[in-house]
Amino acid sequence: MNQLFQFLIRQRIILLFVLLELINAWSIFKYDDFQHVIYLNTTNRWAASLLATSREIKTYHHLGEVNAELALENTRLRQEIFKLNALKQPETKIPYFVSSAMLNRYAPVASKVIDQSTQMSQNYLTIDKGLVDGIKPGMAVISSTGVVGKVMSCTSNLSLVVSVLHIENNVSAKIKSTGELGYIKWPGIQTEVVEMMDVSKYKKVVKGDTIVTSDYNVVFPPNIPIGLVAKVGLEKDETFHQIKVMLLTNFSTLKYVYVIKNHLLDQQIKLETLKPKPE
Amino acid sequence: MGNSFQFKWIFIVIFCLFTQVFILRDVALANVAFCFIYLWMIVKAPIHTPLLYLLLLGFFLGWIVDIFYNTHGIHSLATVFIAFLRPAFFKVLTPVNGYDERSSVSLAEMKALWFFPYIFLMLLTHHLILFLVESSDASLFMYSLLRALASAILGTLVFGMLELFNQKN
Repeated sequence: MNQLFQFLIRQRIILLFVLLELINAWSIFKYDDFQHVIYLNTTNRWAASLLATSREIKTYHHLGEVNAELALENTRLRQEIFKLNALKQPETKIPYFVSSAMLNRYAPVASKVIDQSTQMSQNYLTIDKGLVDGIKPGMAVISSTGVVGKVMSCTSNLSLVVSVLHIENNVSAKIKSTGELGYIKWPGIQTEVVEMMDVSKYKKVVKGDTIVTSDYNVVFPPNIPIGLVAKVGLEKDETFHQIKVMLLTNFSTLKYVYVIKNHLLDQQIKLETLKPKPE
Repeated sequence: MGNSFQFKWIFIVIFCLFTQVFILRDVALANVAFCFIYLWMIVKAPIHTPLLYLLLLGFFLGWIVDIFYNTHGIHSLATVFIAFLRPAFFKVLTPVNGYDERSSVSLAEMKALWFFPYIFLMLLTHHLILFLVESSDASLFMYSLLRALASAILGTLVFGMLELFNQKN
């Protein structure tokens, strides 16, 4: 017995070596049984939190790129939505098909807001895309939440956008549920509230209705959300509702917007100038 | 073996593990050459370090790395193995004057002709075990060999460069 102990002590290094390697080998080949016992992998709570912190630090520097990538992806998705909307069958029974020109009518361009104001009565945004990127005055600008404005002028790399928060910038709009037409006008006071004009008092308007851009809009694609009806009022002897609309877009935190290229705009304007002038 | 000396080693252990787990984990040159800097400890431990400590250190280092690499024991297996083989490598590569009591593993004391073959042998053994066990597939055999060789060459270069910073003491 004593000799055995002597032997074990003399050979303890080799025994330890064998023992450690056996533990490792057991762990390697019996991984499935083993991992449920102690979670010695990256699902371990401590390991995971350390890795998450390290990833945060590393990715922080790439946030800009990530944002740009996401904006690009959104651009693609948005184009897809325009197509799908155009494809949607109208509720009439008339046989109707969409021409491919109509289907590919709108192409969004993601761009970054580099400057903007919301305090004035005439507010503008400056965005980082211009003539080089195919932007032209008159194009619609929307954000992921709703309408923003329209392009007023362009340099080769930048564009100036008239915000919806501009007292002279009206947007043709409709009430989504009933299809009543009107237009949106900013009274120039609160940055969250605009007014909807020209809705007859004989039509029903309910608080909470969604206001979207109309189909007869030269600038915006149809059905871009604008805001929600916040308050409906009616003065004596007036023929129109007084509708206050809460904007869906938060202008003070805008970072990325989409400029909508309308490939059929020229044709549309040309046709509309051919209309006979009323005498 | 003063207190400061031990603190130095503890610091190096933590530093190596941190670098390995948070930086080098994502690094692979041409997808074949990996750098395993945590072996620095096993490679550089003083020549007369008791083998018992080395084995336990190898086991500990290997497991920490295994946790973060999701390799459940392979790193540990390979690291304990080279820790065990270390004295054998020393025997094979005896320098002309033999090892004296205060010898340390460093380029300055041991000369390049001893230092680089030693590092290369250690790393190659480790990487061969690591990649062969990891792939555990005969069809990937040549690829694993290539990986082990490339990683060992890269590791030798990196350790050589680290050694340049150690020259003055």
